[in-house]
Amino acid sequence: MNDRFLRACRREPVDATPIWFMRQAGRSLPEYRAIREQAGLIEITRDPALCAEVTLQPVRRLGVDAAILFADITTPLPGLGVGLSLVDGVGPVIERPVRDRGAVDALRPFDPVEAVGPLLEAIRLVRRASPVPLIGFAGAPFTLATYLVDGRASRDASVLKTLLRTEPATVAALLDRLVDMTVAYLAAQVEAGVQAVQLFDSWIGVLGPRDYATHVAPHMRRLFAALAPLGVPTIHFGTGAAGILPLLAECGGDVIGLDWRLGLADGWRLVPDRAVQGNLDPTLLLGPFEATAAEARAILAEAAGRPGHVFNLGHGVLPATDPDDLRRLVELVHEQSAVVAVR
Amino acid sequence: MTTQLAGTWTSERRFLAACRREPADATPIWYMRQAGRCLPGYRAMRERHSVLEIATTPELCAEVSLMPVAELDVDAAVMFADIMLPLRPMGVELELTLEGPVIARPIRTAADVARLRTIEPAEDVGFLLEAIRLVRRELDGRRAVVGIAGGPFTLAGYLIEGGASRDFVRTRILMHAEPATFERLLALLAEVVAGYLIAQADAGAQVLQLFDSWVGAIGPADYAASVAPHVRRIFKTVRTARPDVPTIHFAAASGALLGAMAEAGGDVIGVDHRTSLAAAWATIGPDRAIQGNLDAARLLAGWESTRAGADAVLAEAGGRPGHLFNLGHGIAGETDPGILAALVHHVRERSQR
Repeated sequence: MNDRFLRACRREPVDATPIWFMRQAGRSLPEYRAIREQAGLIEITRDPALCAEVTLQPVRRLGVDAAILFADITTPLPGLGVGLSLVDGVGPVIERPVRDRGAVDALRPFDPVEAVGPLLEAIRLVRRASPVPLIGFAGAPFTLATYLVDGRASRDASVLKTLLRTEPATVAALLDRLVDMTVAYLAAQVEAGVQAVQLFDSWIGVLGPRDYATHVAPHMRRLFAALAPLGVPTIHFGTGAAGILPLLAECGGDVIGLDWRLGLADGWRLVPDRAVQGNLDPTLLLGPFEATAAEARAILAEAAGRPGHVFNLGHGVLPATDPDDLRRLVELVHEQSAVVAVR
Repeated sequence: MTTQLAGTWTSERRFLAACRREPADATPIWYMRQAGRCLPGYRAMRERHSVLEIATTPELCAEVSLMPVAELDVDAAVMFADIMLPLRPMGVELELTLEGPVIARPIRTAADVARLRTIEPAEDVGFLLEAIRLVRRELDGRRAVVGIAGGPFTLAGYLIEGGASRDFVRTRILMHAEPATFERLLALLAEVVAGYLIAQADAGAQVLQLFDSWVGAIGPADYAASVAPHVRRIFKTVRTARPDVPTIHFAAASGALLGAMAEAGGDVIGVDHRTSLAAAWATIGPDRAIQGNLDAARLLAGWESTRAGADAVLAEAGGRPGHLFNLGHGIAGETDPGILAALVHHVRERSQR
């Protein structure tokens, strides 16, 4: 088993820098698009064999050092009794947004086996077949709350942010429920076999440091404290989080994910006692490969062979990306970082 | 109602002093997008005129620009001028909608860029220059007048995407895939923006703000390589032509870029709500003034939330000369003007020195 990904998460020395891609299982791969012609995204997450197949596709084609479970961050929400659909070009749309205390109290208790049983079965299938570690994941509570309250992706999360001021107790109650759900969801994933977990706080960048510290950090601390006994490395990734990175890291995460808006060395300086993951701008891959190669070398130079770097993009793979370029990037990172390690 | 403070401080003097980091009697305050949908007078005018008609008719433009001075008592009038205005005479067909500008034919190839023209401000945006003269005459030294322009990345972003965008993916793709095309587009925009700002100063704008609102979509290495040279050129050209006019340099979500932005230019650096004011000031250094950074969402949540947020911002500034109070981004359209007015008075009283 190739374990350089898990070793890097623990900041142990590795033979080469491990690399995987956020959204590596997805529309950039022709074999995925072929499956999508027959099944919708939600259907795939409810069919263990299809879900395992889609999760393994990038491992076979790209040579990445980790697989990540194919799911959407909203996948567990129906388990709370929330109706949602995934609309092309829009993303998740919540049938009845959760905007008052009554709606929060009406959320059902989350039972992972009942809510996401097929996904847990897919994890077992992947573990049997995968030559690399499998990462489980969940959306972080604040990000899930932006979907639940605003009803869909919203650049400013303005409905949630207004509720945060007018009814802070309602938001706190919602985040509490989402922490409980996320702990149960990730514990079930670990029990089924995932070997690391990533929290995606994709919308946390709408908050400044004081709001994060007051309204979000206590919930994230509770979440990470509850994950610790599971004994797997945790990755904590926020998008647009440059202004709150130390606060975010203080809440937890063995590995801190950096997006492309921050220099890797600058980001690492803010979280010196953690491993870091990132952070090549995914749009580079839509240009000539030479530009990607130059930037990848620059990122590796910033990491300087220090133990605890997991190479990744700064955000998810874009659908128009050529999978051959992703494979070349994997090879380049392995070769270049192996040179650094020998020196 | 106007808050009267002892002494001979006018709003104009207070505002200009803060831009120059000189002590003032109180912290000056204005709002990005203060001349707009939050004011009933503006909404009434919009029932009769389109945004473009208002912006291109000097009397209407002056009237809207002056409204927040009368209704909110802010220390400066900022010109009602969408950042896309100078792009029309460059040959870009665009519409201004509630969701932002919509470009009929996005600019995505070298040929698209080659078709764009530079502008002659006196002819092409004479309406704005005339409106500035009207506003200066009306204010007569009581309030400062701020002229504005979009930053080159932000303008290019709208041109390339065809409208507003969360992550400016197409823009970043063009920047990486066709760097020469991107470079030509930004160089042309920088030339246009510099001339546009200088013309506004000549017409009477006393402070100039560059809104590179969306440049936070890229990281520091890309900013340094592909954007900073053009921004630097704008600030340098303006400074050389009009050395006495202070400049403000603003971007949203720019936490990781603040140092590089300050290095590119601006006497005042505008900071959004995502960065702490104290941390930002430490990054940009003691030789710059700072503007910001109350989260505009707080104003939607009522007065108590607004007041508490404002006091925290003032506490971080610590009464140090060179702070211009503002929101972290533009006013949301549904904001209650009563809260905006109350905030002006609160900041002026709390910061009185």
